[in-house]
Amino acid sequence: MVQRLKEVDVVVIGVGMVGSIVAKELAAAGYTVVGLERGPARFTVPQFQSPAVHDELRFSVRKALMQDSTRETVTFRNLDSQVALPIRRWESFLPGTGLGGSMVHWNGQTYRFQANDFKLATGTRERYGRNFLDPEVTIQDWGVTYDDLEPHYDRFEYLLGTSGKAGNIKSRIQAGGDPHESPRSREYPTPPQKELFQGALFRKAATSLGYHAFPQPSSNLSQPYTNPEGMKLNTCVFCGFCERHACEHYAKSAPQTIILPVLLANPNFELRTGCQVQRINLDSTKKRATGVTYIDAVGREYEQPASLVITSAFALNNVRMLLLSGIGAPYDPATGQGVVGRNYSYQTISSVAAFFDEDVVINPFMASGASGTVINDFAGDNFDHSGLGFIGGAYIGAVNPHGRPILYHPTPPGTSAWGKGWKQAVVKHYNHTVMLSIHGSSVTQRQNHLDLDPTYRDAWGQPLLRMTFDFPRNDLKMAVHVTAKAAEIGKAMGAKQVAANPRKGPYTITQYQSTHNTGGAVMGDSPKNSVVNRYLQSWDVPNVFVIGASAYPQNASWNPTGTLGALTYWAIDALTNKYLKNPGQLVPA
Amino acid sequence: MSAYSRAYSGLRVGCIMTAVLPCLLAVNAAPGPAPAATPPCEACHGAHGEGMAAAHVPRLAGQSADYLQKQLDDYAQGTRDNPIMKNFAKELSGQQRAKFAARYASMSAPYIAQSALSAASLARGHQLAYQGDETKRVQACNGCHGPDGIGVALAAPYLAGQSAEYLASALTAFRQGTRKNDAGELMRSVAKRLDDVDVEAVSGYFGSLEPSTH
Repeated sequence: MVQRLKEVDVVVIGVGMVGSIVAKELAAAGYTVVGLERGPARFTVPQFQSPAVHDELRFSVRKALMQDSTRETVTFRNLDSQVALPIRRWESFLPGTGLGGSMVHWNGQTYRFQANDFKLATGTRERYGRNFLDPEVTIQDWGVTYDDLEPHYDRFEYLLGTSGKAGNIKSRIQAGGDPHESPRSREYPTPPQKELFQGALFRKAATSLGYHAFPQPSSNLSQPYTNPEGMKLNTCVFCGFCERHACEHYAKSAPQTIILPVLLANPNFELRTGCQVQRINLDSTKKRATGVTYIDAVGREYEQPASLVITSAFALNNVRMLLLSGIGAPYDPATGQGVVGRNYSYQTISSVAAFFDEDVVINPFMASGASGTVINDFAGDNFDHSGLGFIGGAYIGAVNPHGRPILYHPTPPGTSAWGKGWKQAVVKHYNHTVMLSIHGSSVTQRQNHLDLDPTYRDAWGQPLLRMTFDFPRNDLKMAVHVTAKAAEIGKAMGAKQVAANPRKGPYTITQYQSTHNTGGAVMGDSPKNSVVNRYLQSWDVPNVFVIGASAYPQNASWNPTGTLGALTYWAIDALTNKYLKNPGQLVPA
Repeated sequence: MSAYSRAYSGLRVGCIMTAVLPCLLAVNAAPGPAPAATPPCEACHGAHGEGMAAAHVPRLAGQSADYLQKQLDDYAQGTRDNPIMKNFAKELSGQQRAKFAARYASMSAPYIAQSALSAASLARGHQLAYQGDETKRVQACNGCHGPDGIGVALAAPYLAGQSAEYLASALTAFRQGTRKNDAGELMRSVAKRLDDVDVEAVSGYFGSLEPSTH
C-alpha cells in the first residue's frame, strides 16, 4: 500500500551537484525541501579515505561509484533498425549514483562554453551559409546567451574555487590565459595548478606552432580556499585518483566539499537516501505535478506531495523520468515529431599517443584530473570551417589525468596485445609517453535519440531508457581534422613516434570515451523543438523544472560541468525571483 | 620496551642535555667562525638518530632523505624557523646538507617507548590516523603519511615512533602558522582544524607505534 506523506514545498529528484545547489538555495529561501537520492549517503570521511579509495580494481575497473547496472541500466543500439540490448557493464560512459552524484567521481575540468556555442544554429548559418550542414543535423540555439549566463558561471566557479588563469576579463585579453574565451567578469578564484612536465612540453611545442596554450581550469585546487558558503577546501596533492574515484583530501570540488554540509544543516531540508523515484505524479489535467512516488530501500512505496518538482538526476535519468511520468511528447525519429528524447548528443573524443625516448621522464602518475595544458585554437568555431564540410572542433591538450597501473599502459601500434612482447612494451613506454586528448564537440542528428525500451525493465519493473546513437558524419570529419593537428603538436614536442587515433564509427559502448551524455530534454525558445524553456521549466507541466546536461541542445567542445553549474544558478535565479513569487509558465508558449 | 633501551635512552638524554647547551651558546655567541666540518647533530638527535623525545627533538633514523634534505634546506633559507637548526644548516653547503640527510635516512635506531596515553586519547588518535573526522573536515593522517604512519617517500615523513612531544610541537607550529614550509599549506590546513585534545591524542598515538623497520 502506498503511504502518502506530508506535503512539502519542493521535492528534488537526485541529490548530486544540481540537486545539492538547488536544494540549498530553496531551503535557505525558506521553502521546505525533500531531497530523494537513490544511492547511499557518503562523505569524505569515512567513505572516501585511502587506502581504500585508491583501490583501482574496485573503483576504476569495477566502478564502485557508478549506477548499479544490475538494477537499472540503459539499453543501446547504433541504429533504429537494430534491437537494443542492456549495457551490463558501464564502459563508454559512467553514470554515478549516491549522494553527490557523478561529481564525486569527476576529474574537475571546469570550462565555460563560448558565446557562439549558445547561438550555434544562427551562427553557423550566418558564417557558412544555409546549406553548409548535413541535412540530418538538428542543431539549434539554446534560448539563453553567454551574457545571460556569465554571472552564473562566475558564481559556480567561486563556489568550486576553480583554479585557472583568465584569458579575457571584460574583453581585455590576459597573458597566460585562453585568448579565445568569451569575456569573464573577473579572474578565477584561485591560480592554476602547477604545470606538469608533459604540459610544459606541450606548451613549448604548441607555442612554436603559433597556438595559444593555457592551463586547464581545474576544480582540484591549487591552494586552500574558502568558498562563499564558508566551506574550506585544501590543496590538491596530484595523487592521480580523481576520475572514477572520490577525493580523500577535501581538495576536489564536489557536493560533499562545497555545499552539502550547509544544506544538511538547514532544518528546512530533509535528505532521504536509498529512494528510487518511480515517476512524477500529475493531476487529471496533466498540466500540473502533484509530487512524486518513490520506493525506499526496503521496498516500501511512498507518495511525496509537493508544489514544485525539480528533476536533477543524471542527464539520461532526467529524460527517463519525463518519459516514465508522461511529461512532454516523446520524440519519434521517423516523423521528427515530439521532443522528449530528441537531440541526444555526446562528446567526440580522439587521442594522440606521443612516444618519447627513455631519457624523457613523464611520471604520468603525478597528476590531478585537470592539471593539463591545452589549446583552444581548434575548438568550437575558433577556426574557419569553410570548405571543411563540418562544424565544431575540439580542444587539444596534454591532459592525461593519471598513470594508474591497471588501466594506463600506452604501447605503440603494432605491439602484441598480450604476452611477453606486450609486457616489455608497457615497461618501456609507461614513463615515456604523453597521451594528447582531442576533446571534441557533438552535433545532434535526426536519428540519435532516447526513448523507453519496449522489452527490458529495471529492478522495480519500469522500462529502461533506450539509447540510439552513432557518431554523426560531421563529428567524424571533425575528429580527423583536429586529430591531425594534435599529431603535429606531438611531433613538435620531440616524440620519436606519434600514433594518431581519430575517433571512428560506429560508436561502441564497450570502450571508455566520456560521461558527457547530453541532451534529450533540451532547452529552447519553442515547445516545438524543446522540452524546457530558457529557464529549464517544462513547457508542459510548469511546476516541473528539469535541470541537467539533458538541457543541452547539442554539446560543445568542452567538458559540460561548468555550463551545467551556470545553468543551475540561472534556473535558481528564475525560480526564486520569478517562479516562486508567482507560480506559472515563465515563458508564453 | 626492553630494559636495555630504557636505560640507554635515559643515559642519552642526560648526556645530550649537557652537551647541547654549550654548543648552542657557542653558535649564538659567535656566528662568524668557519663552519664545523661535522656539526654536532648527534648531540641532540643521538648517535643513531633516535632523537630526544623529552626535548621535542625528532627522531631522524630512517626518515625520508628527501624530507630531511628539504628541512635542512628550508632552515638554511629561512623558510623553516628554529633558532638552533637555522644556524647549523646555514653553515652547511647544499652538498653537505644532502649528505647529512642521506646519512640519517640510512640509520636505524631502537624505538624509545613513550609515556602511556589514556585509552580515550589513544582511540581518538587512532581515529584521526585511520579515518579522519568529517565534522572537522580532517582527512586521515595515513592517507599521506602511509599505512600506520610509516611515511611515504618523497614528501611525507614517517610519524610512527616519532617523539610525541616533537609531533605535538610540530602540529602546534602548523596550527599557529609559525611553521610554513608545507607544500600547498597541506599541514596548516589540517592542523588548524584540530584542537589541543586532538593534537595530544594524535601525537601520542603515533609516538606509541614502533617505527617501521622497512
